Amino acid sequence: MRKLTVLIVIIFCLAPLSIHAGETPRRIISLAPNMTEVLFALGLGDRIVGVTNFCDYPEEARHKRKVGGMSNPSLEAVVSLKPDIVVMTTDGNPKEFAERLRSLKIRTYISKERRLRDLPDAVREVGAALGVRDRAEALAGDMEARLRKLDAERTPGPKKKMLFIVWPEPLIAAGPGTVIDDAIAVAGAENVASRAKSEYPKYSIEAILQNPPDLIVIGKGMTNITKLSQGLLDRVKILPAVREKRIYYVSDDLYRLGPRTVRGIEELKAVLER
Amino acid sequence: MKTRVLLLITLFLAVIAVSLFSGPSFINPFALDETKKVILISIRAPRVVVALLMGMALGASGAVLQGILRNPLADPYILGISSGASLTAALGIISGLSFLGTFTVPVLAFAGAIITGGIVGMMGWKRGGLWPERLLLAGVGLSFLFSALLMLMLSVSTNEGLRRATLWIFGDLSMSDWARIPYGLVFVIAGLAVCLTRAKALNALILGDELTHSLGFEPQRERLLLFVSVGLMTAASVSLGGMIGFIGLLVPHIARFFLGSDSRALVPASAILGGALLCIADLIGRSLLPPMELPSGIVTAIIGSPYFLYLLRRKNVLSV
Repeated sequence: MRKLTVLIVIIFCLAPLSIHAGETPRRIISLAPNMTEVLFALGLGDRIVGVTNFCDYPEEARHKRKVGGMSNPSLEAVVSLKPDIVVMTTDGNPKEFAERLRSLKIRTYISKERRLRDLPDAVREVGAALGVRDRAEALAGDMEARLRKLDAERTPGPKKKMLFIVWPEPLIAAGPGTVIDDAIAVAGAENVASRAKSEYPKYSIEAILQNPPDLIVIGKGMTNITKLSQGLLDRVKILPAVREKRIYYVSDDLYRLGPRTVRGIEELKAVLER
Repeated sequence: MKTRVLLLITLFLAVIAVSLFSGPSFINPFALDETKKVILISIRAPRVVVALLMGMALGASGAVLQGILRNPLADPYILGISSGASLTAALGIISGLSFLGTFTVPVLAFAGAIITGGIVGMMGWKRGGLWPERLLLAGVGLSFLFSALLMLMLSVSTNEGLRRATLWIFGDLSMSDWARIPYGLVFVIAGLAVCLTRAKALNALILGDELTHSLGFEPQRERLLLFVSVGLMTAASVSLGGMIGFIGLLVPHIARFFLGSDSRALVPASAILGGALLCIADLIGRSLLPPMELPSGIVTAIIGSPYFLYLLRRKNVLSV
């Protein structure tokens, strides 16, 4: 009996230690810009030791050590930073890279979520894997509440037709299966490019004229998109949306599935109500 | 021969008509509303004109180059002209240049093409003339260098515009616009005129410099003249709509299967076939999966290559 008590006491003493060691990685590398944003939003900024060249948000991410591109990260750079875990995505990182890391006994976390409805759970899951369950729950809960509010505010009836331009020349629109397509639906509009057969189709200018959108939204990238869009807008100037100046430039919040996504939807909704 | 020429011209006109009136939707020219008028006049028509100009320039350039380089594998891009154009265009995009508005990229591409053509010409110049082997090797060498530099830029850059620009580099006619056409038109027409009037000399050049001389032509002068006009046509074509493969290399061979190697028929036939092929390819590219568009360069090669291979099996291969 006494032996058993001692054993139980020992186990209880050790248990928290082992859980701690397994659950809270101290050195994190992120190979996906959207996951970098999620990690910063979860307050893990000072634990991040490496990011990709594309990780430019928030500002602090720019000052982190770079380990290469999304599709071609440097294995050597990753290994030399001695990460406890490497956060990756199925949307842009090569599968082989995760296998190489695993064969080197480096832990990976691979995010598979690509659509808006998966976002809150994606945040919870990565939060659990990185030992910040409570903060993740708070962030995901906030997202869910704001999405519910957007759902509740959506008025039934005819929807405005929206064209979301990702790049004006050559014209690339946001098509079906993208976060932007989901966002347009949640904001209460119809995506005119949702019939295209690709996520980011090279969109036909004829098609814009044949199926005219009520408003055109142009996503601001890092370049001078306003100037670049002028040629395209001149060519479709007979559209009511262009004549009546329903052309809106929005932030790049919707380009990544992360903490800024819901704000991007709220921005779209504000544009629709203008 | 006469019926074949007639057939070719009929085909050419039919292609133009079909490209104008069909597409993602059919447009009846006798029942136009405002939207259809705009589609027909400001979107389809300039696109068809650009496809014709580019296709004609590439087809004719290919036929001429295969002649002056005496090599059946020569094409307008082998001289490095397109890779030079892509490089300057990409440099312009990455540095955010927009000094000429929407003309910036075409003008940069044209400049890059001309500079590259000039360098190739200088490398190919020896003892007061251009030498085919030197031209060819200089072009291939420069082409590798410039493509590598472009790839380098693409792989280290995080610039989103640059990655979109690769779509343009691989052939994109969707931005065709009346405003850009006159500049391309001048160079293509001038180049075609030179090539057509010098077709006899080209026939002689294929036979070798000595025979050219005894037939009364100055081989180095003719070669230089043809090289410059091909360079200008190709530069104009790249700046109008990026790179379209296949046409410059294989359309002259297809023309040769039907009309033989006489440059007087081959050069215009290659131009017409090239123009018609690019027009059809672009028509398919914009009609197949609306509202999405497929790059014309890819469609050109997909429909052109099997036909070329079929001809290769069926007919006797003719040399240059």
